[in-house]
Amino acid sequence: MTYVTIEKINKAFKGQTVLHDINLSLKQGEFVTLLGPSGCGKTTLLRILAGLIDPEHGVIKIEGKDVTKLKAKDRQIGMVFQSYALFPNMTVAENIAFGLKMKKLDKAAIQKKVARMVELTGLSGKENSYPRELSGGQQQRVALARSIVTGPKVLLLDEPLSALDAQIRKNLQKQLRAIQKELNMTTVLVTHDQEEAMAVSDRIYILNEGYIAQSGTPHEIYTKPVNEFVARFIGNYNVFNGEELSLLTQGTEFPHKLYAVRPEAFSSQMIDNYLEIIGKVDKVMMLGNVTRYELFSKGVSVTAEHLHKSNEDIQEGTLKTLYIDKKDVIPLA
Amino acid sequence: MKVKRSFYHYLTIGAVLLYLIVPLLGTLIYSFSTQWHKTILPEGLTFQWYKELFGDSVFLKAMGRSLILSFGATVLSLVIMVPTIFSIVMYAPRLEKFIQSLIVMTYAMPGVIIAVGLIRAYSNSGISMVVVTVGAYFVGILPYMYQGTRNSLRNIHAVSLMEAAEILGAGQFTAFMKVILPNIMTGILVSSLLSFSILFGEFVLVNLLIGGSFETIQVFLYKKLNVSGHIASAIVVCYFILICILSVVIVKVTRSKKGTV
Repeated sequence: MTYVTIEKINKAFKGQTVLHDINLSLKQGEFVTLLGPSGCGKTTLLRILAGLIDPEHGVIKIEGKDVTKLKAKDRQIGMVFQSYALFPNMTVAENIAFGLKMKKLDKAAIQKKVARMVELTGLSGKENSYPRELSGGQQQRVALARSIVTGPKVLLLDEPLSALDAQIRKNLQKQLRAIQKELNMTTVLVTHDQEEAMAVSDRIYILNEGYIAQSGTPHEIYTKPVNEFVARFIGNYNVFNGEELSLLTQGTEFPHKLYAVRPEAFSSQMIDNYLEIIGKVDKVMMLGNVTRYELFSKGVSVTAEHLHKSNEDIQEGTLKTLYIDKKDVIPLA
Repeated sequence: MKVKRSFYHYLTIGAVLLYLIVPLLGTLIYSFSTQWHKTILPEGLTFQWYKELFGDSVFLKAMGRSLILSFGATVLSLVIMVPTIFSIVMYAPRLEKFIQSLIVMTYAMPGVIIAVGLIRAYSNSGISMVVVTVGAYFVGILPYMYQGTRNSLRNIHAVSLMEAAEILGAGQFTAFMKVILPNIMTGILVSSLLSFSILFGEFVLVNLLIGGSFETIQVFLYKKLNVSGHIASAIVVCYFILICILSVVIVKVTRSKKGTV
């Protein structure tokens, strides 16, 4: 059953439309990500959902109730900001308790809830610290605890991990997802990091220039990009036109205008009925567990990736044959 | 090489400190000296000038008037300007250009011209010139209050803090009082102290607008300069001590604000 509905949301700044009739829905407990490059309108959409910006027109419903005209403070929404926006004059415990105090809960109830959040977010021992005394990761967890302690109907996350280094970011992604699942919290994450979106989401909406380019599960989005933008944005997809593919595959017919091929879909092993591409290896990059390289063939560059294997040495300047299943050549709209 | 560099470093700092301290030290010694005209050091030391000064009810009244004028204008500015600047920065940043042009105008207008303009405009209006002076002071300290408040708001990312507080269920007034104000208090106090100090030492406007009828410490000092240099020095020392006490209070207050950025 739909828990949050966004219907035909439209927003313009200085006469320029940044969101074009956006429709979006969330089920209860679902983790949805708005993914897109800078300026695609994802943060604007999140802020409209939070009640921090008014849309030109459109409707937002939470649990079937129209909240479009409600102020942010009355929407029962939790939000983690990119800058965390922790209150510098308050300790960790006071920051977490702020929303509960605004709800006028009694002291004992506040203490109990704060203690549970501190435990849940792994902040034990830091209750009396001020935000400036915490690391970036700890500050992020305080921001998360503060936003969920009030039991909001929807949790909004505005690029909450973007300021953290890679290792901490990955750990926090896991923690974030675990906490979200434990509380069954309906969550909307905004990010430009496709790996992050894939790692934590039940569903992804890809935005481009104020339109939804594609929506689906991470698997659907990754394996079936519908257009060139999604294919290029979501991974290191090769995008070829029909003629280029025909050239590469010795005359096989490709009637569509554009096709996408995942770099890891290429095989070095000969497989019957697979298409064959022969070319010269260039720009070999060792990316830890994956080796990425380009193959030049008939004036066309192909990016391929293989899991790193010690017995397979890929040398620049050598000739190499790659094999691809025609099913992995995805026609684009 | 390192030692040499550090020697020049200290030499420069020492020279600057000497340049700043010598006049103050001279004034302090002069205020305690019986006579200091033809000798290197004073001929004798005395508390006579301070006794005379504090025994003079005109001095105490003048001090009180200066405090009232400067304090009044600063408090008025705090009450009116801080919420105004907050509203502009938060909700109408386009109006910042307007405030900035006002600030430039306060710098561009010499005190004498402002005084003459105010006298012509208000002398027969029935409005007390003391009130007019407070009004003029209010405008005069606008740059300090504006810069201090705006910079503090920007430093703490006030927009995000307000949004966070509102999403957590706080109304705008509560969010301002509980979240914004405690975090910009340091900046506001520093701006207030600066404004107060400037107003306390302001002479041109106060002398021309209300000098005769509402004698302040500056006007009193000006008159005493022609009577006794020792008493004038004692007044300067008193003024300096007052400002020092205020500075210490502000520093103590700001340092006790744990957690502020």
